[in-house]
Amino acid sequence: MKKPSTRRHVLGHLGGALAGLLTLPAARQAKAAVQKFFVSSQAPKGYDPTKHKWLMAIDIERCIGCGLCVEACKTENNVPRSSYYFRTWIERYVITKPKPGSGETRGEVMVDSPNGGMNGFSPNSVPRADNILKSFFVPKLCNLCEHSPCAQVCPVGATFDTPDGAVLVDPNYCIGCGFCIQACPYGCRFLNPQTKTAEKCTLCYHRITRGLKPACVEICPSEARIFGDLKNATADDPIQRFFESGKALTMLKPHLGTAPRVQYAGLDKEVR
Amino acid sequence: MPRWKTDATKIQFMRRLNMPPQIVRLVLLTIGIVAAYLVARYILTPSSFGQYGFYRGNALEEVAARSPVYAGKKSCDECHSEELQLLAKFEHKTLSCEACHGVGQAHVENPDVKFVKMTDHDCLRCHEASPSRPKWLRQITFKEHYKGQRCTDCHVPHQPNEVP
Repeated sequence: MKKPSTRRHVLGHLGGALAGLLTLPAARQAKAAVQKFFVSSQAPKGYDPTKHKWLMAIDIERCIGCGLCVEACKTENNVPRSSYYFRTWIERYVITKPKPGSGETRGEVMVDSPNGGMNGFSPNSVPRADNILKSFFVPKLCNLCEHSPCAQVCPVGATFDTPDGAVLVDPNYCIGCGFCIQACPYGCRFLNPQTKTAEKCTLCYHRITRGLKPACVEICPSEARIFGDLKNATADDPIQRFFESGKALTMLKPHLGTAPRVQYAGLDKEVR
Repeated sequence: MPRWKTDATKIQFMRRLNMPPQIVRLVLLTIGIVAAYLVARYILTPSSFGQYGFYRGNALEEVAARSPVYAGKKSCDECHSEELQLLAKFEHKTLSCEACHGVGQAHVENPDVKFVKMTDHDCLRCHEASPSRPKWLRQITFKEHYKGQRCTDCHVPHQPNEVP
Protein backbone atom coordinates (compact mmCIF):
# COMPACT_ATOMS: atom_id res chain seq x y z
CA MET A 1 0.00 0.00 0.00
CA LYS A 2 1.16 3.54 -0.82
CA LYS A 3 2.53 5.58 2.01
CA PRO A 4 0.12 8.31 3.05
CA SER A 5 1.18 11.83 2.03
CA THR A 6 2.18 13.85 5.02
CA ARG A 7 3.15 17.50 5.28
CA ARG A 8 6.76 16.33 5.71
CA HIS A 9 6.64 14.39 2.43
CA VAL A 10 5.04 17.21 0.44
CA LEU A 11 7.52 19.78 1.74
CA GLY A 12 10.37 17.37 1.02
CA HIS A 13 9.28 16.96 -2.60
CA LEU A 14 8.84 20.71 -3.03
CA GLY A 15 12.33 21.32 -1.63
CA GLY A 16 13.78 18.80 -4.05
CA ALA A 17 12.05 20.45 -7.01
CA LEU A 18 13.34 23.87 -5.90
CA ALA A 19 16.91 22.56 -5.62
CA GLY A 20 16.57 21.09 -9.10
CA LEU A 21 15.48 24.46 -10.50
CA LEU A 22 18.41 26.17 -8.78
CA THR A 23 20.89 23.92 -10.58
CA LEU A 24 19.52 24.96 -13.99
CA PRO A 25 21.79 28.04 -14.43
CA ALA A 26 24.86 25.93 -13.69
CA ALA A 27 23.65 23.28 -16.11
CA ARG A 28 23.09 25.89 -18.82
CA GLN A 29 26.59 27.31 -18.34
CA ALA A 30 28.07 23.83 -18.68
CA LYS A 31 26.00 23.28 -21.82
CA ALA A 32 27.23 26.56 -23.33
CA ALA A 33 30.84 25.69 -22.55
CA VAL A 34 30.51 22.25 -24.13
CA GLN A 35 28.83 23.74 -27.21
CA LYS A 36 31.59 26.33 -27.59
CA PHE A 37 34.22 23.61 -27.37
CA PHE A 38 32.74 21.43 -30.08
CA VAL A 39 31.38 24.01 -32.51
CA SER A 40 34.29 25.48 -34.49
CA SER A 41 33.83 29.14 -35.38
CA GLN A 42 35.47 31.40 -37.97
CA ALA A 43 35.63 34.08 -35.29
CA PRO A 44 39.07 35.14 -34.09
CA LYS A 45 40.21 33.38 -30.93
CA GLY A 46 41.20 35.17 -27.77
CA TYR A 47 39.33 38.42 -28.36
CA ASP A 48 37.72 39.71 -25.17
CA PRO A 49 35.14 42.43 -25.87
CA THR A 50 35.31 43.69 -22.29
CA LYS A 51 38.97 44.70 -22.69
CA HIS A 52 38.45 47.15 -25.57
CA LYS A 53 36.53 50.34 -26.25
CA TRP A 54 36.64 51.34 -29.88
CA LEU A 55 35.93 54.81 -31.16
CA MET A 56 35.97 56.55 -34.51
CA ALA A 57 36.55 60.24 -34.99
CA ILE A 58 36.31 62.39 -38.12
CA ASP A 59 38.54 65.32 -39.01
CA ILE A 60 36.53 67.50 -41.42
CA GLU A 61 39.64 69.47 -42.42
CA ARG A 62 41.25 66.30 -43.72
CA CYS A 63 38.34 64.87 -45.76
CA ILE A 64 38.91 65.35 -49.48
CA GLY A 65 35.65 63.75 -50.62
CA CYS A 66 37.24 61.01 -52.73
CA GLY A 67 34.59 58.45 -51.75
CA LEU A 68 37.06 55.62 -51.29
CA CYS A 69 35.71 54.89 -47.81
CA VAL A 70 32.16 54.45 -49.12
CA GLU A 71 33.33 52.04 -51.79
CA ALA A 72 35.60 50.17 -49.36
CA CYS A 73 32.71 49.78 -46.90
CA LYS A 74 30.43 48.35 -49.58
CA THR A 75 33.10 45.93 -50.78
CA GLU A 76 34.17 44.84 -47.31
CA ASN A 77 30.68 44.29 -45.94
CA ASN A 78 28.91 43.16 -49.11
CA VAL A 79 26.46 46.08 -48.95
CA PRO A 80 24.09 46.22 -51.95
CA ARG A 81 25.59 48.44 -54.67
CA SER A 82 22.33 50.31 -55.28
CA SER A 83 22.31 53.95 -54.19
CA TYR A 84 19.91 53.42 -51.27
CA TYR A 85 22.05 51.28 -49.00
CA PHE A 86 25.00 52.70 -47.10
CA ARG A 87 26.76 51.88 -43.86
CA THR A 88 28.85 55.00 -44.33
CA TRP A 89 28.49 57.87 -46.78
CA ILE A 90 29.83 61.35 -47.47
CA GLU A 91 27.79 64.54 -47.62
CA ARG A 92 28.98 67.65 -49.41
CA TYR A 93 27.99 70.95 -47.82
CA VAL A 94 28.10 74.12 -49.91
CA ILE A 95 27.35 77.43 -48.19
CA THR A 96 27.01 80.30 -50.65
CA LYS A 97 27.88 83.91 -50.03
CA PRO A 98 24.96 86.04 -48.80
CA LYS A 99 23.13 88.24 -51.28
CA PRO A 100 24.64 91.72 -51.24
CA GLY A 101 22.62 94.02 -48.99
CA SER A 102 20.67 91.17 -47.33
CA GLY A 103 22.45 91.81 -44.03
CA GLU A 104 22.99 88.09 -43.48
CA THR A 105 26.34 86.49 -42.84
CA ARG A 106 25.62 83.39 -44.89
CA GLY A 107 23.69 82.52 -48.00
CA GLU A 108 21.99 79.29 -48.93
CA VAL A 109 23.15 75.93 -47.54
CA MET A 110 23.17 73.10 -50.07
CA VAL A 111 23.76 69.48 -49.14
CA ASP A 112 24.15 66.62 -51.59
CA SER A 113 25.44 63.09 -51.55
CA PRO A 114 25.24 61.61 -55.08
CA ASN A 115 25.35 57.83 -54.65
CA GLY A 116 26.62 58.38 -51.13
CA GLY A 117 29.70 60.07 -52.54
CA MET A 118 30.97 56.68 -53.69
CA ASN A 119 32.00 57.92 -57.14
CA GLY A 120 33.21 61.28 -55.94
CA PHE A 121 31.51 64.66 -56.31
CA SER A 122 31.29 66.56 -59.56
CA PRO A 123 32.55 70.14 -59.13
CA ASN A 124 30.10 71.19 -61.87
CA SER A 125 26.97 70.66 -59.77
CA VAL A 126 27.79 73.44 -57.29
CA PRO A 127 27.84 77.24 -57.73
CA ARG A 128 30.96 78.88 -59.13
CA ALA A 129 33.90 78.95 -56.73
CA ASP A 130 33.79 82.75 -56.28
CA ASN A 131 30.16 82.44 -55.12
CA ILE A 132 30.94 79.92 -52.37
CA LEU A 133 31.53 81.11 -48.83
CA LYS A 134 32.48 77.71 -47.47
CA SER A 135 32.33 74.14 -48.69
CA PHE A 136 33.40 70.89 -47.08
CA PHE A 137 32.70 67.17 -46.88
CA VAL A 138 31.14 65.36 -43.92
CA PRO A 139 31.63 61.59 -43.70
CA LYS A 140 28.77 59.97 -41.83
CA LEU A 141 28.50 56.62 -40.12
CA CYS A 142 26.87 55.00 -37.08
CA ASN A 143 27.38 57.46 -34.23
CA LEU A 144 27.93 54.65 -31.70
CA CYS A 145 25.47 56.18 -29.25
CA GLU A 146 25.88 55.57 -25.56
CA HIS A 147 22.07 55.43 -25.29
CA SER A 148 21.19 53.93 -28.67
CA PRO A 149 17.55 54.52 -29.62
CA CYS A 150 17.87 51.70 -32.17
CA ALA A 151 18.76 49.17 -29.48
CA GLN A 152 15.96 50.44 -27.24
CA VAL A 153 13.16 49.95 -29.76
CA CYS A 154 14.10 46.50 -31.03
CA PRO A 155 11.18 44.24 -30.04
CA VAL A 156 13.24 41.05 -30.13
CA GLY A 157 16.50 42.29 -28.62
CA ALA A 158 18.36 41.64 -31.86
CA THR A 159 20.38 44.86 -31.71
CA PHE A 160 22.51 45.89 -28.79
CA ASP A 161 25.50 47.90 -27.56
CA THR A 162 28.52 45.65 -27.17
CA PRO A 163 30.94 46.18 -24.27
CA ASP A 164 33.66 47.22 -26.76
CA GLY A 165 31.71 50.18 -28.13
CA ALA A 166 30.08 48.83 -31.29
CA VAL A 167 26.33 48.64 -31.89
CA LEU A 168 25.61 45.36 -33.63
CA VAL A 169 22.66 43.54 -35.19
CA ASP A 170 22.17 39.85 -34.54
CA PRO A 171 21.15 38.70 -38.05
CA ASN A 172 19.75 35.40 -36.75
CA TYR A 173 17.29 37.12 -34.43
CA CYS A 174 16.40 40.24 -36.46
CA ILE A 175 12.84 39.94 -37.78
CA GLY A 176 13.21 42.86 -40.20
CA CYS A 177 10.42 44.97 -38.69
CA GLY A 178 12.31 48.20 -39.34
CA PHE A 179 11.66 49.87 -35.98
CA CYS A 180 15.37 50.54 -35.51
CA ILE A 181 15.59 52.15 -38.96
CA GLN A 182 12.86 54.59 -37.91
CA ALA A 183 14.45 55.16 -34.51
CA CYS A 184 17.96 56.07 -35.66
CA PRO A 185 18.06 59.89 -35.81
CA TYR A 186 21.18 59.75 -38.00
CA GLY A 187 19.70 57.54 -40.73
CA CYS A 188 22.49 55.02 -40.32
CA ARG A 189 20.43 51.87 -40.80
CA PHE A 190 18.80 50.14 -43.75
CA LEU A 191 16.94 46.92 -44.46
CA ASN A 192 19.09 44.67 -46.59
CA PRO A 193 16.90 43.60 -49.55
CA GLN A 194 18.64 40.21 -49.77
CA THR A 195 18.73 39.10 -46.14
CA LYS A 196 15.63 41.13 -45.08
CA THR A 197 17.38 42.09 -41.87
CA ALA A 198 18.47 45.49 -40.56
CA GLU A 199 22.09 46.37 -41.25
CA LYS A 200 24.39 49.08 -40.09
CA CYS A 201 28.01 50.01 -39.53
CA THR A 202 29.58 47.34 -37.31
CA LEU A 203 32.88 49.25 -37.06
CA CYS A 204 34.00 46.33 -39.27
CA TYR A 205 33.67 44.09 -36.23
CA HIS A 206 35.22 41.17 -38.12
CA ARG A 207 38.30 43.31 -38.80
CA ILE A 208 38.82 45.02 -35.45
CA THR A 209 38.59 41.68 -33.62
CA ARG A 210 41.47 40.49 -35.81
CA GLY A 211 43.63 43.54 -35.11
CA LEU A 212 42.88 45.26 -38.42
CA LYS A 213 41.46 48.75 -38.86
CA PRO A 214 37.91 49.17 -40.24
CA ALA A 215 37.92 49.17 -44.05
CA CYS A 216 37.06 52.87 -44.34
CA VAL A 217 39.86 53.87 -41.95
CA GLU A 218 42.31 51.56 -43.70
CA ILE A 219 41.48 53.03 -47.09
CA CYS A 220 41.16 56.74 -46.21
CA PRO A 221 44.06 58.42 -48.03
CA SER A 222 44.07 61.61 -45.98
CA GLU A 223 43.67 60.36 -42.39
CA ALA A 224 40.27 62.02 -42.11
CA ARG A 225 38.97 58.99 -40.24
CA ILE A 226 40.70 58.31 -36.97
CA PHE A 227 40.14 55.03 -35.20
CA GLY A 228 41.47 53.59 -31.98
CA ASP A 229 40.98 51.66 -28.79
CA LEU A 230 40.38 53.97 -25.84
CA LYS A 231 41.22 51.28 -23.30
CA ASN A 232 44.59 50.43 -24.87
CA ALA A 233 45.64 53.77 -26.37
CA THR A 234 49.38 54.40 -26.51
CA ALA A 235 50.98 57.84 -26.79
CA ASP A 236 51.43 57.66 -30.58
CA ASP A 237 48.00 56.12 -31.18
CA PRO A 238 46.07 58.11 -33.83
CA ILE A 239 43.05 58.53 -31.56
CA GLN A 240 45.27 59.69 -28.68
CA ARG A 241 47.02 62.25 -30.92
CA PHE A 242 43.63 63.38 -32.23
CA PHE A 243 42.32 64.08 -28.71
CA GLU A 244 45.56 65.81 -27.69
CA SER A 245 45.62 68.00 -30.81
CA GLY A 246 43.36 70.53 -29.08
CA LYS A 247 40.83 70.60 -31.93
CA ALA A 248 37.31 71.64 -30.98
CA LEU A 249 35.23 68.45 -30.96
CA THR A 250 31.51 68.24 -31.60
CA MET A 251 28.99 65.47 -32.01
CA LEU A 252 25.96 65.20 -34.29
CA LYS A 253 22.58 66.13 -32.75
CA PRO A 254 23.77 66.13 -29.11
CA HIS A 255 20.42 67.61 -28.00
CA LEU A 256 18.63 64.30 -28.68
CA GLY A 257 20.18 62.70 -25.62
CA THR A 258 21.49 59.71 -27.53
CA ALA A 259 25.03 60.53 -26.34
CA PRO A 260 26.71 59.90 -29.72
CA ARG A 261 30.35 58.86 -29.27
CA VAL A 262 31.68 59.62 -32.76
CA GLN A 263 33.65 62.86 -32.51
CA TYR A 264 33.88 65.42 -35.30
CA ALA A 265 36.67 68.00 -35.45
CA GLY A 266 36.06 71.24 -37.33
CA LEU A 267 32.36 70.67 -37.86
CA ASP A 268 30.34 73.62 -39.12
CA LYS A 269 27.22 74.56 -37.20
CA GLU A 270 25.06 73.92 -40.27
CA VAL A 271 25.77 70.19 -40.18
CA ARG A 272 22.90 68.09 -38.90
CA MET B 1 -4.22 16.36 -7.07
CA PRO B 2 -3.20 12.81 -6.21
CA ARG B 3 -5.78 10.06 -6.39
CA TRP B 4 -7.01 9.10 -3.02
CA LYS B 5 -7.66 5.48 -2.10
CA THR B 6 -10.52 6.45 0.09
CA ASP B 7 -12.20 9.60 1.14
CA ALA B 8 -10.91 8.92 4.62
CA THR B 9 -7.23 9.28 3.61
CA LYS B 10 -8.08 12.48 1.68
CA ILE B 11 -9.74 14.02 4.67
CA GLN B 12 -6.85 12.85 6.85
CA PHE B 13 -4.34 14.54 4.49
CA MET B 14 -6.24 17.80 4.42
CA ARG B 15 -6.52 17.78 8.21
CA ARG B 16 -2.77 17.24 8.57
CA LEU B 17 -2.03 20.16 6.20
CA ASN B 18 -4.42 22.16 8.29
CA MET B 19 -5.49 24.18 5.17
CA PRO B 20 -8.79 24.38 3.31
CA PRO B 21 -8.66 22.19 0.17
CA GLN B 22 -9.30 25.08 -2.27
CA ILE B 23 -6.23 26.89 -0.91
CA VAL B 24 -4.11 23.73 -1.31
CA ARG B 25 -5.28 23.46 -4.93
CA LEU B 26 -4.42 27.11 -5.62
CA VAL B 27 -0.95 26.77 -4.07
CA LEU B 28 -0.18 23.63 -6.10
CA LEU B 29 -1.49 25.26 -9.29
CA THR B 30 0.70 28.36 -8.71
CA ILE B 31 3.77 26.23 -8.12
CA GLY B 32 2.97 24.28 -11.28
CA ILE B 33 2.66 27.43 -13.40
CA VAL B 34 5.91 28.92 -12.04
CA ALA B 35 7.75 25.65 -12.64
CA ALA B 36 6.37 25.38 -16.19
CA TYR B 37 7.50 28.97 -16.86
CA LEU B 38 11.01 28.28 -15.54
CA VAL B 39 11.37 25.10 -17.58
CA ALA B 40 10.07 26.81 -20.74
CA ARG B 41 12.44 29.74 -20.18
CA TYR B 42 15.36 27.37 -19.76
CA ILE B 43 14.58 25.57 -23.00
CA LEU B 44 13.79 28.67 -25.09
CA THR B 45 16.56 31.07 -23.95
CA PRO B 46 19.73 30.84 -26.09
CA SER B 47 22.62 29.45 -24.06
CA SER B 48 24.82 32.56 -24.39
CA PHE B 49 22.04 35.02 -23.49
CA GLY B 50 23.15 37.46 -20.79
CA GLN B 51 26.86 36.85 -21.27
CA TYR B 52 27.54 40.57 -21.86
CA GLY B 53 24.08 42.07 -21.51
CA PHE B 54 20.45 41.56 -22.40
CA TYR B 55 21.27 39.83 -25.69
CA ARG B 56 22.83 36.70 -27.15
CA GLY B 57 26.57 36.76 -26.44
CA ASN B 58 27.31 34.41 -29.33
CA ALA B 59 26.02 37.05 -31.76
CA LEU B 60 29.29 38.95 -31.32
CA GLU B 61 31.27 35.96 -32.51
CA GLU B 62 28.87 35.36 -35.38
CA VAL B 63 29.27 38.95 -36.58
CA ALA B 64 33.05 38.67 -36.20
CA ALA B 65 33.16 35.39 -38.13
CA ARG B 66 33.09 37.14 -41.52
CA SER B 67 36.48 37.10 -43.24
CA PRO B 68 38.14 40.43 -44.14
CA VAL B 69 38.30 41.55 -47.77
CA TYR B 70 40.86 44.32 -47.45
CA ALA B 71 44.17 42.84 -46.32
CA GLY B 72 45.61 45.97 -44.71
CA LYS B 73 48.96 47.70 -45.08
CA LYS B 74 50.67 45.30 -42.65
CA SER B 75 50.04 42.37 -44.98
CA CYS B 76 51.63 44.30 -47.87
CA ASP B 77 54.65 45.03 -45.68
CA GLU B 78 55.42 41.31 -45.41
CA CYS B 79 56.61 41.13 -49.03
CA HIS B 80 56.80 44.72 -50.31
CA SER B 81 58.57 46.42 -47.40
CA GLU B 82 61.03 48.21 -49.75
CA GLU B 83 58.22 49.95 -51.60
CA LEU B 84 56.55 50.87 -48.31
CA GLN B 85 59.78 52.34 -46.90
CA LEU B 86 60.13 54.45 -50.03
CA LEU B 87 56.49 55.49 -49.86
CA ALA B 88 56.92 56.58 -46.22
CA LYS B 89 59.36 59.31 -47.30
CA PHE B 90 56.88 61.11 -49.54
CA GLU B 91 53.55 62.84 -49.32
CA HIS B 92 51.63 59.70 -50.20
CA LYS B 93 52.77 58.06 -46.95
CA THR B 94 49.26 58.26 -45.49
CA LEU B 95 47.82 56.20 -48.34
CA SER B 96 47.01 52.57 -47.87
CA CYS B 97 48.25 50.37 -50.72
CA GLU B 98 44.71 49.18 -51.35
CA ALA B 99 43.44 52.75 -51.72
CA CYS B 100 44.93 52.84 -55.22
CA HIS B 101 45.68 49.21 -56.07
CA GLY B 102 42.32 47.83 -54.96
CA VAL B 103 41.21 44.93 -52.77
CA GLY B 104 44.16 42.75 -51.78
CA GLN B 105 43.09 39.76 -49.68
CA ALA B 106 43.00 37.47 -52.73
CA HIS B 107 46.55 38.57 -53.65
CA VAL B 108 47.80 37.91 -50.11
CA GLU B 109 46.42 34.39 -50.20
CA ASN B 110 47.71 33.72 -53.74
CA PRO B 111 50.40 36.12 -55.07
CA ASP B 112 49.59 35.09 -58.65
CA VAL B 113 46.34 37.04 -58.44
CA LYS B 114 47.14 40.40 -60.04
CA PHE B 115 45.62 43.77 -59.31
CA VAL B 116 43.56 45.76 -61.77
CA LYS B 117 45.72 48.15 -63.82
CA MET B 118 45.41 51.72 -62.64
CA THR B 119 44.31 54.63 -64.76
CA ASP B 120 44.34 58.44 -64.54
CA HIS B 121 40.96 58.15 -62.85
CA ASP B 122 42.65 56.74 -59.72
CA CYS B 123 44.71 59.96 -59.44
CA LEU B 124 41.83 62.29 -60.26
CA ARG B 125 39.59 60.72 -57.66
CA CYS B 126 41.54 62.78 -55.13
CA HIS B 127 43.35 65.44 -57.15
CA GLU B 128 40.66 66.81 -59.50
CA ALA B 129 40.09 70.42 -58.46
CA SER B 130 36.91 71.14 -56.50
CA PRO B 131 35.94 74.17 -54.42
CA SER B 132 34.82 71.76 -51.67
CA ARG B 133 38.23 70.18 -51.26
CA PRO B 134 40.51 71.53 -48.50
CA LYS B 135 43.24 73.92 -49.60
CA TRP B 136 46.13 71.78 -48.34
CA LEU B 137 45.43 69.18 -51.05
CA ARG B 138 47.27 69.62 -54.40
CA GLN B 139 44.54 69.85 -57.04
CA ILE B 140 44.52 70.16 -60.82
CA THR B 141 41.87 70.62 -63.48
CA PHE B 142 42.45 67.59 -65.67
CA LYS B 143 41.14 69.24 -68.84
CA GLU B 144 43.67 72.08 -68.58
CA HIS B 145 46.63 70.43 -66.86
CA TYR B 146 49.02 69.21 -69.65
CA LYS B 147 46.16 68.13 -71.85
CA GLY B 148 46.49 64.81 -73.64
CA GLN B 149 49.16 63.36 -71.36
CA ARG B 150 48.78 60.64 -68.77
CA CYS B 151 49.49 61.41 -65.11
CA THR B 152 52.32 58.88 -64.93
CA ASP B 153 54.06 60.47 -67.94
CA CYS B 154 55.40 63.05 -65.48
CA HIS B 155 54.50 61.88 -61.96
CA VAL B 156 55.64 58.84 -60.00
CA PRO B 157 52.74 57.77 -57.75
CA HIS B 158 54.99 56.33 -55.03
CA GLN B 159 57.17 59.49 -55.00
CA PRO B 160 54.70 62.28 -55.70
CA ASN B 161 57.05 65.05 -54.54
CA GLU B 162 59.41 64.29 -57.42
CA VAL B 163 57.60 66.57 -59.83
CA PRO B 164 59.51 67.67 -62.97
